[in-house]
Amino acid sequence: MATLDPTSVKRRSPLNQRHVTSHALFKEFGGNLLVGHYGDIKSIQEEYSQAQMLAICDLSTLPRLGFKGPGAPSWLETQKLKLPTLPNTAKCQHTGSLVAKLSDQEVLILSDIFALSNDVATLSHKAEIDHQNYDKQTYILPRGDSHCWLAVTGTQASEMFSKICGIDLRSHKFAHGDIAQTSVAKTNAVVIRNDLGSTPGFYILSDISGVEFLWDCLLDAMQEYGGCPVGVSALQRLIKSS
Amino acid sequence: MYTRLPAPYGSLINREIGVQFEFENKTVNGFEGDTIASALLANQQWLLSRSFKYHRPRGALTMAGQDANTMVQLPSNPNALADKELIKEGMQVSGQNYTGSLENDRGALLGLFSRFLPVGFYYKAFFKPRGMWEKWASLIRKKAGLGVIDQQLKSPYYDKQYKFYDVVIIGGGPAGMQAAIDAAVDNCEVLLVDENPSLGGSLNYARFDAAGTLGKLLRTELLSALQANSNITVMTNAVCNGWFADNWLPIICGNRLYKVRATQTILCTGALEQPALFHNNDLPGVVMSSAAQRLVHLYGVKPGSAAVILTGNNDGYGTALDLLDAGVAIQAIIDLRANPDYDEVAKAAIARGIKVKTGCAVYSAHSKKEVHVASVEVRNIIGQGICGNDREIINCDLLCMSVGYTPAYQLACQAGGQLSYDDQSAIFTLNNCPETLQLAGSVNSLWHIDAVLAEARRTAAIATNALGFTQVAVGEVIPKGSISPNHPWPIFAHPKGKEFVDYDEDLTIADIVNATGDGYEHIQLVKRYSTCGMGPSQGRHSALAAARIVAAATHRTVADTGVTTARPPFSAEQLGHSAGRSFYPARRSNMHYRHLEAGAEMLQAGAWFRPAYYAQDNITRQDCINAEVTNVRNNVGLVDVSTLGGLEVRGPDAGEFLNRFYTFGFVKQPVGRARYALLTNEAGVVIDDGVACRFGDNHYYVTATTGGVDRVYQNMLKWNAQWRLNVDIANVTSAYCGVNIAGPNARLILEKVCTDIDLSSAAFPYMGVRSGTVTGIPARLIRVGFVGELGYEIHVPQQYGEALWDVLIEAGNEYAIKPFGIEAQRILRLEKGHIIIGQDTDAMSNPNEVQMSWAVSKKKPFFVGGRTLSELEKKPSLRSLVGFVVNDIESPIPQESHLILDGKHMTGRVTSCNYSPTLDKAIGLAYVSPTSAANGSTIVIRSSGGVLVNATVVDLPFYDPNTARQEL
Repeated sequence: MATLDPTSVKRRSPLNQRHVTSHALFKEFGGNLLVGHYGDIKSIQEEYSQAQMLAICDLSTLPRLGFKGPGAPSWLETQKLKLPTLPNTAKCQHTGSLVAKLSDQEVLILSDIFALSNDVATLSHKAEIDHQNYDKQTYILPRGDSHCWLAVTGTQASEMFSKICGIDLRSHKFAHGDIAQTSVAKTNAVVIRNDLGSTPGFYILSDISGVEFLWDCLLDAMQEYGGCPVGVSALQRLIKSS
Repeated sequence: MYTRLPAPYGSLINREIGVQFEFENKTVNGFEGDTIASALLANQQWLLSRSFKYHRPRGALTMAGQDANTMVQLPSNPNALADKELIKEGMQVSGQNYTGSLENDRGALLGLFSRFLPVGFYYKAFFKPRGMWEKWASLIRKKAGLGVIDQQLKSPYYDKQYKFYDVVIIGGGPAGMQAAIDAAVDNCEVLLVDENPSLGGSLNYARFDAAGTLGKLLRTELLSALQANSNITVMTNAVCNGWFADNWLPIICGNRLYKVRATQTILCTGALEQPALFHNNDLPGVVMSSAAQRLVHLYGVKPGSAAVILTGNNDGYGTALDLLDAGVAIQAIIDLRANPDYDEVAKAAIARGIKVKTGCAVYSAHSKKEVHVASVEVRNIIGQGICGNDREIINCDLLCMSVGYTPAYQLACQAGGQLSYDDQSAIFTLNNCPETLQLAGSVNSLWHIDAVLAEARRTAAIATNALGFTQVAVGEVIPKGSISPNHPWPIFAHPKGKEFVDYDEDLTIADIVNATGDGYEHIQLVKRYSTCGMGPSQGRHSALAAARIVAAATHRTVADTGVTTARPPFSAEQLGHSAGRSFYPARRSNMHYRHLEAGAEMLQAGAWFRPAYYAQDNITRQDCINAEVTNVRNNVGLVDVSTLGGLEVRGPDAGEFLNRFYTFGFVKQPVGRARYALLTNEAGVVIDDGVACRFGDNHYYVTATTGGVDRVYQNMLKWNAQWRLNVDIANVTSAYCGVNIAGPNARLILEKVCTDIDLSSAAFPYMGVRSGTVTGIPARLIRVGFVGELGYEIHVPQQYGEALWDVLIEAGNEYAIKPFGIEAQRILRLEKGHIIIGQDTDAMSNPNEVQMSWAVSKKKPFFVGGRTLSELEKKPSLRSLVGFVVNDIESPIPQESHLILDGKHMTGRVTSCNYSPTLDKAIGLAYVSPTSAANGSTIVIRSSGGVLVNATVVDLPFYDPNTARQEL
């Protein structure tokens, strides 16, 4: 399978160096370059099985965006987004995007992992028009660049998390759609439970400048359970096969 | 002689797998599952180590890892507990704390002088004459301490893990097992923790009935019920080392520290068997009864051939039966009780024809070659702790003590429980434990197995009721039996002493009595003065005896005397357990690997990695830095400024907010312009600086220092919580990558890649800001001059950072653009006289002192620190930050914090100093007294090695005073 040169695009994940070292095969999704799978190590099918058990995937180049301010929730609702009722919960949109309510005045919007939804780009464009003067208490936040986006999947994920995070993330305590704003390996992080099909899944959003440190910590923690990195294709298959 | 008993004895050993190891360079054979101690004892090697003070021989005492007697040296692990540490093939083990050989320790001669080394001896003997302590200290410290640390050891991998349970039960004996079974109802998640390799506690080795079958049957029954319940998680070989608020339990298992949160905790920690006190009670071969039973049942070791049992309860009779069954001759049972109330087990023992002497005590033990008990002297008891003259010598090679227990109260007391003691019945009670913590079993002074199990069920019901899993009647508190296994006074002083209270510290009855005689009557003071209970076993076997002796010596009850505080950790833990896996978060810019590829030597500034300079083959570090400086001054350079703080301040009140927050005025700042932003705190002290860029009427993008941005952000939030202005503040430091392209050719390069902004000086002047693109990358451009040349800071979304770097390097190739690091940047800014907050300022620096009064607006009504600054202005300045040039270029270059001297008096200090390749001079910044601050003043700097360096104060900046170059 041919791979794309990760330097052929201008928007690059800080983890690209690690991905290249791990023989990643890059693939484009909606104009964003992600690791499709790690070619020399495992096939997509093997990565799919791995993702069901325990795996980590870098989604940092996928679109995402934040809004905050007293006017943000109501403006987002006018944009036809279905916001979760409670803070620290997330809701999947019919477009596949995920809307995470971090507080009564702060919302995070994540693209679907196929990058099929145009929600983030549309909202960004609309916000620039509607809130150009920042006079309606709605403020866009550059979460696509301030925060990395990692996915941890598999039945062993919560057990692995218990080594580096003080929140009880087990399935019956931290359900699909729950959010914890917490510390992971001494790094501030937003952890969102978002199952991929029937496989437990967690999104981690954390300071992007520390993503290499966090990546290494996660790999170290998951080594005990046989976890390893997979490409986004394996995660997409988790959804398709459900 | 090999003393293994046949199966089924030895439940913990696997006879199929032999293990060979070395002790004191001799080969020893054992089995998988053996501890070092059990394997050595099976080979009749009782002498394991030497005691701390008098180098007395030490052998196994509890066989439960509860005492310091079995501490041995492993190659990389001193003070390993031989009765806990499992043997491994090829393991090298040796004794500790001896001079010469373990068998013939020259250090044991100290024991001959023990009468001259009373408690408190060190405090009394070595402090005078003045200065004498320093002479003694090295000798004493050489003798003090146990074991040898392997300083070459590479630390093993330790880590931590969080766990969450509804009910955590500490102690996997009968009470713990029963409580776990009863608590695991519905979806209640239960964790059962035990420090031993297998569950069962005393069921594994103690005698509960005459036939000796009840314990094993009950264990089997409980174990199958446990295994059948998937709600129960079992952790063995795991010790709960403390209790912290809200049932936070640190549990150590292997190299991992589990941080366990329990909603309800049930302590079933059991009880610790206590020694009797008599002459030579510390000889190898003198053991707790339970230790002998553990050896027989757990390890299949026959602990002796002829045993004497010293008992104050019926449990000693059970031990006698166990030993008899194992082929050990029982020479006699010495019962402290004058009129024992025998139970079924005791009666069975008596029926086996064992000689029993009631109302008697072991008065002293005697040894063969001073390393193992060979006989005991038994005398009749005529009063509390007093023996008569009726004596009998009984030969034996094993003496088992069964005189009572203390509850394992440590965790309960850490939880706030109060331990009380009834002097008459010698029964302990634990009260005032939190509602979320229950006690069951012998820790709660329940001894009969039926009572233990009933209490376990009751506490489980309390826990599950509280959790809402059940709503059942919990029943009445199970009453403690009227008969206690604790003898109230198993203490018999001997004219020759050596009745050891504390085996760790070689403390005798006389030592404790003398401590009270020296005026230390409170048990806590006795502990600190005598060191009783301060050794590795933390008073587990000395606290009760010490309390009894202090009580008697001070004419109080034990209840009044109390016992010493039991703080965490319960047992010794490795530093690695506390440290766990080290997490040192590190931050990198998106251009990090480009720096490495260009040869950057990185340094860490806080969590950030930054290029210090770019190394080149065969060129010194300083020459590389100087070349980078020269390239910026004469050509063009590129530096990564991604670590600079970035804050978005947006909203209708953004200008007003900045006006209040920073010293300058910002309300009238034009859109498209940047303004220097100096931040002071309430005390008028300079704490940060940056540039406020106005991109819209209601939008400022403010930079802050790398190390200060988090504090600036916090301060902004704090102040606006008071001001309640209509403004949003966002820390976007990580969201943007930035570079500064600086030098006379900067514009030429930028024009090649940035085509949607007019970069001409007229259209985009110095301190202008623009939004645009750089080869399609959305960018914010700021014309600032930190390095004093024509320059543009380009800030782009983080993930475009590497691409931006590539674009600029490629575009700059025709102009020989070179990257430069922060070392060059520091020189460049110094030449320009720009200060670095934190380096050229300290916790007292105000704007006036650092020649920044131009950055303070006097027209606005308020800003943070403004009131203080106006007051400070009324007072004469005590110091000034000035520029200086070293007079003689050959002089050593002063460094930061070198002192400014006026004769012998210190009048200031250097804050920055470096060689300027542009000026070919050593230049710097320094705080000097106002009298030396004038241009042309001479200052004297005490440089490295005390060399005095003359320098001349000059006006700032050193370079380009008219700022013509940065405004090109």
